[in-house]
Amino acid sequence: MVLVLAIGDLHIPHRAPDLPAKFKSMLVPGKIQHIICTGNLCIKEVHDYLKSLCPSLHITRGEYDEDSRYPETKTITIGQFKLGLCHGHQVVPWGDLDSLAMLQRQLDVDILVSGHTHQFKAYKHEAGVVINPGSATGAYSSITYDVNPSFVLMDIDGLRVVVYVYELIDGEVKVDKIDFKKTSTATV
Amino acid sequence: MLHTSGELSPDLANHRRFQDLRGVQWRIDLGILPSSSSSSSSVDDFRRVTANSRRSYAALRRRLLINPHISKDERNFRDLVIDNPLSQNPDSTWRRFFHKAELEKMVDQDLQRLYPEHGNYFQTTGCQGVLRRILLLWCIRHPNYGYRQGMHELLAPLLYVLQADLERLSEVRKLYQHYFTDNFDGLSFNDTDLSYKSDLEKGEDNIGIQKDEMNTSYLHDLDPKIQTIISFCDAYGAEGELGIVVSEKFMEHDAYSMFDALMNGDKGAVAMANFFSHSPSPHNGLPPVIEASSALYRLLSIIDLSLYTHLVELGVEPQYFALRWFRVLFGREFALHDLLVIWDEIFSLDNKKLRGNSENESEVTFRVLNSSRGAFISALAVSMILYLRSSLLATENATSCLQRLLNFPADVDLGKLIKKAKSLMDLAIDAINSISEPIHGGGLFEPGKPRAHGHGHSRSLSSDVTAAMSSRALVPESYWEEKWRNMNKEDDRKQAGLSKQVSLTKQVQNRINGWSEKVRMRLSKVTRSPLRRNLVDDLARLEEKNEKSVSGNGGGEENSSVYSDPVSPQGLSNNIINNNNDHENETDRSSVASNSSVNGDNPDLGLDLDSSPSPSITSVRYSSAEDVGSPLPVSDTPEEDLSFKEVKNENIIVKSVSNLRDRRPLAGKFQWLWMFSKTGPESSLDKSKPATSYVTEINQKNAVPSSSTADETTKPEAADHHNLKDLAQSMLENIEVIESVENLSRNTAEALNELRKISNILAEM
Repeated sequence: MVLVLAIGDLHIPHRAPDLPAKFKSMLVPGKIQHIICTGNLCIKEVHDYLKSLCPSLHITRGEYDEDSRYPETKTITIGQFKLGLCHGHQVVPWGDLDSLAMLQRQLDVDILVSGHTHQFKAYKHEAGVVINPGSATGAYSSITYDVNPSFVLMDIDGLRVVVYVYELIDGEVKVDKIDFKKTSTATV
Repeated sequence: MLHTSGELSPDLANHRRFQDLRGVQWRIDLGILPSSSSSSSSVDDFRRVTANSRRSYAALRRRLLINPHISKDERNFRDLVIDNPLSQNPDSTWRRFFHKAELEKMVDQDLQRLYPEHGNYFQTTGCQGVLRRILLLWCIRHPNYGYRQGMHELLAPLLYVLQADLERLSEVRKLYQHYFTDNFDGLSFNDTDLSYKSDLEKGEDNIGIQKDEMNTSYLHDLDPKIQTIISFCDAYGAEGELGIVVSEKFMEHDAYSMFDALMNGDKGAVAMANFFSHSPSPHNGLPPVIEASSALYRLLSIIDLSLYTHLVELGVEPQYFALRWFRVLFGREFALHDLLVIWDEIFSLDNKKLRGNSENESEVTFRVLNSSRGAFISALAVSMILYLRSSLLATENATSCLQRLLNFPADVDLGKLIKKAKSLMDLAIDAINSISEPIHGGGLFEPGKPRAHGHGHSRSLSSDVTAAMSSRALVPESYWEEKWRNMNKEDDRKQAGLSKQVSLTKQVQNRINGWSEKVRMRLSKVTRSPLRRNLVDDLARLEEKNEKSVSGNGGGEENSSVYSDPVSPQGLSNNIINNNNDHENETDRSSVASNSSVNGDNPDLGLDLDSSPSPSITSVRYSSAEDVGSPLPVSDTPEEDLSFKEVKNENIIVKSVSNLRDRRPLAGKFQWLWMFSKTGPESSLDKSKPATSYVTEINQKNAVPSSSTADETTKPEAADHHNLKDLAQSMLENIEVIESVENLSRNTAEALNELRKISNILAEM
């Protein structure tokens, strides 16, 4: 019963002033055990805010991040799952599933979380799951039109992960849920 | 191995049906099981009620212990916007899940620290799991209370008694094995089944059946208690296994229903849950705990006004200690086995609201304790305070008082405590039902009386207060004056050879009005040997000082005009007293170095007694008054002690009594008392020696000065209760002598009553 928040591409303060209020009201400390952030926060204040939600914070470097010490990619193990984290601007073509799958095999993870496209995506292929949480602030993107603020919450429970997608559409929070089950042989 | 030992008071034992099955008995008391007094309660009724309560618990558990991961299919139908993990919506199952997780964290924190001394039962994972579940379920069920620290301590003994019941049951099982017809094969067949058997087997069956018949017939021969136990635990009785009244499988269910009944008060007045809530009751705007604590203090003020005022003046609010007492029903003050006895008593009392009519409800001041059970609880609390009376009165700061109260001594005679509480119950009921009145601080009260005489006197106490107030003021001066004169004459005669320099001279603030009170208090503290020693010493020193000053040793100044105090309006009619005071005034206030060989402790008895303000200084000064107080409580600073007492006595004193006349009698009283203790040391602390008449007393006093030095040196080491008892006895004898005088005036009689009370107090010590 581990709750993992996947969030990214906030672009604060350059492209957006802050998270949407409805999102902020939902993100309260104490419920979430891990936060994985794809990058492009961009400033330290955002980092501190996320740290206040949960002390376990993992970030990879996006191209606009002011802190250059973040790594390019990161691997985390939570429960039975291995999660991989990368901002995604390094993977060309941006947002291409096959390239991301290649990166996933490289990192040898079950779930790969990447961003940069500012669009929510969740793919399942035989090697695992690729999740793109989109942009939590709905920041302007050069490759996507009509960006909706979104983020992802994963509920990892044993061999099963439930992915809740929170999107802000027309001022209302919409929630969707996807179930993924990992076959135990896949880790080998 | 748990043991249920604990003595029940004999009267209790008579009407309790299940003495050795505490779990069952408490369940009856708490209202879960049908009460044994109702004639219709049979074993089947018991079983049925038990089964019902268990069923409801099981349903509750299923409902409330939610797991958000229950089958996906159900959850798909719920609106995800509401039912996602981050949702703040109160309907969300996730929200309830998080709430439960929080509660669980709090509960676990407490459970880990529960009864470590009985850890081999309470700290096992099984037991902890049971406790946790019960507490969680109750808190989820009653969200307005939430989980408060202390609930676990209310629950733990309940579980413990259930477990103890189980052990008792297994004992019984071992003894009466073949009566427990759990074994299906052993069940005796009735006649209709017999016919089924073929003739061939009839022979053996007959024998078997005969045996069974014998067994069942023997069942009736058994002790009815054992019978009940067996029928309670019959797996084939009413409601089957669910109805087994003492069952291991359903311990959790039973504990939950007991806990629930205890917290809810079972529609009675005392609901423990009230003590955990912070919200003020609509009745009088106070949180229930505060209300109950003030009920406690009200009762204390009725019973023991001096202790009450002492505590109030120190600023010891009742809820500082009463909170813990009430919330955990004294669970922290007693060891577990003692606690079980106490809870036996508490639960045996009815919890129905007293004065049940609705129109009278508004008159009840302390609703939260408005039942026999509540009255007993407050009476027990007061008796616990009274148990600590001497040490409470001895301390002069609030912290140590609280320390005393919060660390209740472990070796307490429970029987006495409970008996005393029972005796106070009537008063308690009155106190709880009374409309609140101001508690007058005036008047001198007899603190020791109710304790010594229990129930019979307590009713008349409140009327006694006012009587006491007036009587003291009206003691005829002639009586005491005479005594004083006689004594002083003797003093005059015994002068020379006094090597002892009583250099301790204080200007004695005259607290005569509170004098007997003070002496009583001082004497009450004399339970500690160093104090006793000092008391006697001081009195001895006083004696010498008197003599010395009278003889003119100190400085030799003879002026009587050195008074700095205002002369009482009536003027000094007693010259002797004046003389005495003159000399006392002259001698400087230096330390008691000369007496230090005897005194032992702090030589700087140069107490600044003048500092304690005395609005009613009179010409009668008694240096000894301060002497007595000075080396008192060894643990606390004497000065504060004394000045405090002075101030307190001031408050207590009825200020209207301010004339010399009234003081003198009391001064004389003091002299008389002092005389007793004085004569004590010389006769190897046997205070019974003082003669039964004043004349002989005085004669003895003649002997005193000469041996006063010896007195000082012969440190009364062995001062103990005997002295006081003897003192009390002698006092009583003297009182009788006086009373034998034909025409006693009313005042004299009253004075004698006071003296009698004093002697009773002393005897009690």
